[in-house]
Amino acid sequence: MKSTGGLIDSPVSQRIDQIGKLFVEGAARLLGRASDNHGLTAETLIPRVKSAVDKYILRDDPQASVVVIQDFIDKLQADDLCLIVACEQGNQKAWTDLVERFSATVRSAARSASSNEEGADDLAQSIWAELHGLRVREDGKPAGKLAYYSGRGSLAGWLRAVVAQLAIDQHRKQSRLVQTEEDADFDRIIQQGQEETSWSGHGASPNPELQISAKLAGAQMQKALAESVKQMQAEDRLLVRLYYFDGLRLREAGAVLGVHEATASRRLTRIHAELRQQVEKLLIEQEGWTQSETARAFSEVALNLETDIEPLLATEPVLMKKENEVAG
Amino acid sequence: MKPANNNEVDLLLRGLARERTGAARQSSSDGGDADGISSDHLDADELNSYAEGLAPAPARARYTEHLAECAACRGIVVGLTQAAGIANRLEAPEETRGAGFWKRLSEFLSPKVLGYAIPALVLTAVIGIGFIALKQRQGTQFVAQNERPAEAPPAAQHQTDSGPSSAAQPQPNIQNETQSGRTTELPREKTALEDEKLQGGQGTGKPDASVAKLAPSKDAGQPAGVASVVESRPYAPETKAAEAPPPPPVINPEKSGELAKERSEKREDQPRDQNEEFRVQTDDVHGPNRSRSNNAQVTTQRGAGIMAGRGPSADKNKKGADVETRSVMGRHFTREGDAWVDTAYEYSQATVRVARGSDQFRALVADEPGIRTIAAQLNGVVIVVWKNRAYRIQ
Repeated sequence: MKSTGGLIDSPVSQRIDQIGKLFVEGAARLLGRASDNHGLTAETLIPRVKSAVDKYILRDDPQASVVVIQDFIDKLQADDLCLIVACEQGNQKAWTDLVERFSATVRSAARSASSNEEGADDLAQSIWAELHGLRVREDGKPAGKLAYYSGRGSLAGWLRAVVAQLAIDQHRKQSRLVQTEEDADFDRIIQQGQEETSWSGHGASPNPELQISAKLAGAQMQKALAESVKQMQAEDRLLVRLYYFDGLRLREAGAVLGVHEATASRRLTRIHAELRQQVEKLLIEQEGWTQSETARAFSEVALNLETDIEPLLATEPVLMKKENEVAG
Repeated sequence: MKPANNNEVDLLLRGLARERTGAARQSSSDGGDADGISSDHLDADELNSYAEGLAPAPARARYTEHLAECAACRGIVVGLTQAAGIANRLEAPEETRGAGFWKRLSEFLSPKVLGYAIPALVLTAVIGIGFIALKQRQGTQFVAQNERPAEAPPAAQHQTDSGPSSAAQPQPNIQNETQSGRTTELPREKTALEDEKLQGGQGTGKPDASVAKLAPSKDAGQPAGVASVVESRPYAPETKAAEAPPPPPVINPEKSGELAKERSEKREDQPRDQNEEFRVQTDDVHGPNRSRSNNAQVTTQRGAGIMAGRGPSADKNKKGADVETRSVMGRHFTREGDAWVDTAYEYSQATVRVARGSDQFRALVADEPGIRTIAAQLNGVVIVVWKNRAYRIQ
C-alpha cells in the first residue's frame, strides 16, 4: 500500500491537511461526474466523502497513499451519492426521484425477504420510514439510514441490503417474543436430525465396544476437524461455510467470493487436502494416534457418515424450507 | 491427495455442518443470537460493497473474516450476490485468465493431460492402421483380372478416357455394380495395376507372334502411328468381382482367331435393343466409355492380331466345321476346349469365378434363375455374360 506518493514520513498536521485537500478536490470531482447534482455543493459532500474514506481505506491502512485515496474517491457512485445526500438534505424532488426509481427494487427485495405478500408490503413501507428516519438528529435533520450510504456500491444493492437487514431484525424481535408452534416443530426435526447424525457410527457394528470406540474416534476426529477449519484462512473458511454449512452450489459460493465456479472447485479440492493433513497432524500430535489409525478412522467415519446421510435426505428439504421461513 | 481421501474429508465436513447447523438452530430457538459469534455485524453499505466486489482489499479481508463466522451477514451477502447476478459476470477462471502461452502449453503438455492423450492417440493409430489394412485386404479380394489375350497398351489409357469419342458408347466389359446382393468397387489405384497386369498378360494369353511384335511398339509410345489401336484399346475397367479372377482360359491359338471372328460376326447379329439397353446402364454407372465403333475396332484389331498370318479366307473355311455351338436360354455358346463360352463374351472382359455348388453359386442362381438353367444344361466350365457381367462357372 505504500507508494512514492505516500505520506508516511510527513508530519501529522501536514498529513491531515493533505488528506483534507484530497476530500475537497474529490468532492468537487464527484459533483462534476454526477449527471444531476441536485443543487448540492462540494461542502455538503465532503463529510460523506471523508466518512467513506475513513471506513474503507484509513481504518485498515491509516497510512494509505494519496493515489489510493484519490482512486477510491473517484470510484464512488456520483449520481447515487448525490441523490442520497440531497434526500438527506430534505430535497423533496430528490425524494420523489428516489422513490420512483427504487420502489420496485425495494418491493422486490421485500418480497424475497418475506414469506408472504402482506409481510412484503409492510416491510417495503417500513423501509422508506427507516431511510427517512423517524428520529431527529442533533442538527435537526432526520436520523435515517440514508446517512450510512457511502456511495461505494450501487444504491440499488445498498437498498436491498437494508431491506434484508431490516427483515432479520424484525424476525428476531418476533422470535424473542414468542416461539411459534412451527418453530417447535422445526426444533424437533433438528433435534431428531442431530440424534440421527451423531458421529457415533451406530450403523457400523452391533458390538457395543466397537460402537463406543467408534464414537470416541468420531468425537476426536470431529474436534480435530473443527479445529482445523478454524485455523484455515478466512477466505477458505468462508468457502467451506458457504458450500457445506449454507448449502450453496459452487457457482453461488464462488460468486460470493468473486471467483469462477471452476476456481472455487479447485480451491475446495485444495482445502480438502489441507484439512486432511491438518486433522491427521492434530490427531497424531494431540490424541496420540498413529498414521494407520488416522487413515483407518477417516475411512470408517466417512463410511458411517455416508450411510447416515441417506435417511436424513428426507428431512433436509423440510429443514431448508424452515430455514427460508426463518430468513424471511 | 487421492480423490477418495478428498471424498472422506467432504463427508466429514458435511457431517460437521449438519451438527453445527442443528446446534445453531437450537440456540436460535432458545432466544439466543443465531450467529452465536458476533453482535457487530457489517452494515448494509459494507455488505453491498462486498457483494459487488467493490470493497478495497484490506476492508474485504476484514469482511471475509466476519462473514466466515456470521451466518446472518453471510446470508445477506449471498442474497445480494444472487440479486446482482454476480455469478453471470464471472466468466473465466482466474488461473487461466491472462495466462501466457507457455503456461497454457505447459498445462497442455503436463503429464496429467498426456496420461490420457497418449493412450488415446496410440489407440486411434492402431485402429486406423487396422482399418486401412483391412480395407486393403478386402480390396485385393475383389480385384478381378481381365482375361484379355491382347490389348492396347496402358499408355493410351488417358487418351481414351478423355477423348471425345470415348463418350459415345459403353464397353461390354463394364460390369454392373451388384453381384449376388453385394456391391464391390475397384479402387482407382487397382485399375492402373490391372493395366500393368493386362499388359504383362498379353504375351501369355496370346501366343501369336504378331501380338508380341505389336506390344513393344505400343510401349514405345508412338502417338500417331498407332492412333487407331490406342483408341480401340479396351477401357481400363473398374472391375468388380467377388473372387480373384480366373486364370486365362487355355485356348488353342489356331482356334482362337476363328472363334474371335465368329463371335464378332455373331455379335453384330444380336438385337440392337440389347445394345441400347446396355449402353444406358453402363453410361449411368460408369460414365463415358468406349464407343461401339471402337468396340468393333477392338474386335477387328484383336482378330487381326490373333489370326495374323492365317488370312480371313482360311478362317471362314474352317468356320462351322471345328466349332461346337449350343444355345441355352436364348444365348449362344461355343465350345473352347473344356469350356462353353458365351458368344457375347470378350476376352477383355473380366470374369467372376463361381464354383458350382458353392454358396456364391447358390446366391447367384437364386438371383438369376436363368444362369441356373444354363449351368444345368452345359457341363464343365461355362463362361456366360449375364447382365453385362461375365461369370465363369466351373
